[in-house]
Amino acid sequence: MNSQRGGAIDQGAAGAPVRGWAQFKAIVRKDLIRELRTRDMIVSMILFVLLAMVIFHYAFSVKEGADLTYFTGGMLWVTFIFAMLLGLNRSFAQEKDEHCLDGLLLCPVDRVTIFLAKTVGNLVFLLIIQAVAVPVFTLFFIERSYLGDVLPFLIVLLLADVGICALGTLLATISMNTRSRDLLLPILLLPLIVPVLIAATGATTLIFAEGAGLADLLARVLFLLGFDAVFLVAAWGTYDFAIGE
Amino acid sequence: MKKLVSAPALFIGAGVFLITGLMLAFWYSPVDSSSMGFSQKIFYYHVPIAETALVAFGIAFVAAVAYLRTQDLKWDRLSYVSVRLGLLFSILVMITGMIWGKAAWDTWWAWEPRLTTFLLVCFLYAAYWVLRSVVDEEQRRATYAAVFAIIAFINVPITFFATRFLPEGLHPVVISAGGTGMEGSMFVSFFISMIGMTLLLVALTRRDLAIENLKDRVTDLKTSLGG
Repeated sequence: MNSQRGGAIDQGAAGAPVRGWAQFKAIVRKDLIRELRTRDMIVSMILFVLLAMVIFHYAFSVKEGADLTYFTGGMLWVTFIFAMLLGLNRSFAQEKDEHCLDGLLLCPVDRVTIFLAKTVGNLVFLLIIQAVAVPVFTLFFIERSYLGDVLPFLIVLLLADVGICALGTLLATISMNTRSRDLLLPILLLPLIVPVLIAATGATTLIFAEGAGLADLLARVLFLLGFDAVFLVAAWGTYDFAIGE
Repeated sequence: MKKLVSAPALFIGAGVFLITGLMLAFWYSPVDSSSMGFSQKIFYYHVPIAETALVAFGIAFVAAVAYLRTQDLKWDRLSYVSVRLGLLFSILVMITGMIWGKAAWDTWWAWEPRLTTFLLVCFLYAAYWVLRSVVDEEQRRATYAAVFAIIAFINVPITFFATRFLPEGLHPVVISAGGTGMEGSMFVSFFISMIGMTLLLVALTRRDLAIENLKDRVTDLKTSLGG
């Protein structure tokens, strides 16, 4: 009997404290499965991004044969940021409407784990959209051969995405709990990610217009790295309060 | 701590320093020998206002951290009042900056790192204001506002750094790592204006806090009367 009880406790000890990593994976998996089942968000966001580029093309084609090369970085990042605003609002609207988040909060999960999982979930969505959008974008707007510059561009893309998603996740969590909900997010998020926009736009334009010049590019990449580090830590420290009791 | 100096004394002190600074700026400090010329006089108010605005946001940041640690609403009030004053001073920075820009470079607006940073700071703390207005529950409003005040203040130097990536601006660099770049007689006027502006911030903060506390008391009394 003793051994039986001991066995039961052992089993409990092995089963009960689900580790942070497992919880993290479970939340990310849940978000991805939910989205892949309906595909609402992904399809709409991809369509939105492609439409935005077409709109930009017509908005900027003021003169026959005008060179748009120096606007491409701006077009690309404005599009991504607006797409992300749509995506962030939707991802939290579902959580809120169906009380999924309340359920998640009732689980013995560290709030920081929820933050990281949500950020990674949003990051994955953004990357999926970019995987479709970037090739189309280069097809539409870039004439010079850029294959040699793909790697630096991917680094810039990833670093900027992390910053946008970390801050976006924190602020979407706050804004969904307020009266104005999705209306509030752009007002909170846009002024905060202007630094990302400046650095990412500059780097993207450098890469596609002139080929990656090392010194200028490196300054921007390091800046994005610093931005990500600072705000991941800041969001990490404050998410507990943002998500509430 | 509260009654160390009376409120009128603070306002009078601020006024004395600000007026003295202004008079010294015009009658004691020499006219700037560089291209700025006479228009440089606005510097003696423009820069102290800018630094005071940043101090106010810094106080808001510290108070926000204190609120998250203690959940005591008095810190939330201090944070709120400081953001409000910081925003007011930031708008004054933009106005004085635009006047200076018109006089010195003949343009009301230039996308210049410092001016742009203050524009973004205005948007940032205007968003803080909007955030407060759309949360009804007091404790929750205080918590969200504190989180945002922290993130916003961290963002200020980062924004300033990022604007350096933009094409170079017109703004003179007066105080750099190499020194203040000011003659002694200029520095005296500047320093006195700086003290005056800081005293003004302290006086306004105290007055606003008193008003917020009174508002709270009125609300409490109304509730207890069944209103």
